[in-house]
Amino acid sequence: MSIDNIKTASPQSQTAVGRIKEMIRVDQAGEYAAVQIYSAQLAVFKHAPGKARISADLAHMAEDEQRHLKRFNELAAERKVRPTAFNPIWHAASYALGAATALMGEKAAHACTEAVEDVIEDHYKHQIDELERLGDAEKELKDTIVQFRDEEIAHKEHALANGAKEAPGYPVLANIIRAGCKFAIRVAEKV
Amino acid sequence: MTDNATGQDQDVLNSLKARILSDVLPDVPFDGWTRTVMMKSADRLGIDRGEVQLAFPCGPVDLVSYFLADGDRRMTEALGEVDLDALKIREKVTLAVRTRLEVDTEHREAVRRAGTYLAMPTSGTRAPQVIYHTVDAIWRAIGDTSTDYNFYTKRATLSIVYGSTLTIWLGDDSDDLAETWAFLDRRIAGVMQFEKVKAQVTKIAGKLPDPLGLLARLRYRTSRS
Repeated sequence: MSIDNIKTASPQSQTAVGRIKEMIRVDQAGEYAAVQIYSAQLAVFKHAPGKARISADLAHMAEDEQRHLKRFNELAAERKVRPTAFNPIWHAASYALGAATALMGEKAAHACTEAVEDVIEDHYKHQIDELERLGDAEKELKDTIVQFRDEEIAHKEHALANGAKEAPGYPVLANIIRAGCKFAIRVAEKV
Repeated sequence: MTDNATGQDQDVLNSLKARILSDVLPDVPFDGWTRTVMMKSADRLGIDRGEVQLAFPCGPVDLVSYFLADGDRRMTEALGEVDLDALKIREKVTLAVRTRLEVDTEHREAVRRAGTYLAMPTSGTRAPQVIYHTVDAIWRAIGDTSTDYNFYTKRATLSIVYGSTLTIWLGDDSDDLAETWAFLDRRIAGVMQFEKVKAQVTKIAGKLPDPLGLLARLRYRTSRS
């Protein structure tokens, strides 16, 4: 045994492991928040008369997010990732966001979806680029994220087709939501 | 946890660490976790002192952490041979804490010395880190997969149970450590009582009417679209 063959690469690979844990932590938190948003919106619309169509759409999207969350929960357990410590905060904030936009109106709910999924799409794209640089080592994780990103894009397009941009005060609303999401992503990666 | 390119390097480092640890363990009860003990061990094993430095860059504090993490690993290994599915959650936790202590039965003095060492201000924040490592290993070993706030409450509760039981274990001279195991059972019973109350509160809270449904009816009452 000798130290000669221990390359200085070890610390770097440790950073890579840490970075992947960060990715799983923030993605798990994000999907968790998405589930909360959609279930709050669904809780509002299912009681409202004449909102059967949007309720069905929301139920479908909530199912997608639930599936994503389940996968990230599994990944977190497999790779011994510590989950975000602010889980109760993300829970309350995202549930409140879903409830508030749903109470504002159908189009505001779509605007919320559009703004959130837009940030998530960008966020996943960055992760995919990062994982691509690691080569084949994390191909499975990358493929999972690519698939999830495509589904998030579908949600966004569905929201746009249903008049997300016609919501009253759309630019203000969307920008506030985008800023909030970006802030939450930065925090949830680390804490 | 590392990719293949550096996996071998990690193996070399790990076996170096394991060799140093098993060589110093007989000395530790007398001399404590010190740099001198580590260097003596290097000379005995015929390895370069620089290699010891490479294996444990921060000196004794790294060696102590490695010793405790190694105990966590041996506990996980021992629990792997038990059919945990047949046990209730409280039995699993009790068994895991007990196993964690039992894997170090022969090294009780070394564990005591580790505690003393980590209590010194020069050890920085290492003490909470190694306790976290242990309780995290225990929860994962018994198959906990929580990813919400329960992840933290479980670890916080267990660190109190484990920490207090560890103190009793260190000073226990009863036969077969009976005092320690009785103490552990009482701590777990206390936690279970609290969990029972918590479950009741959650149950009552779940029966409250859904405020969103009410708001939704108010908001969309006149809407016929």
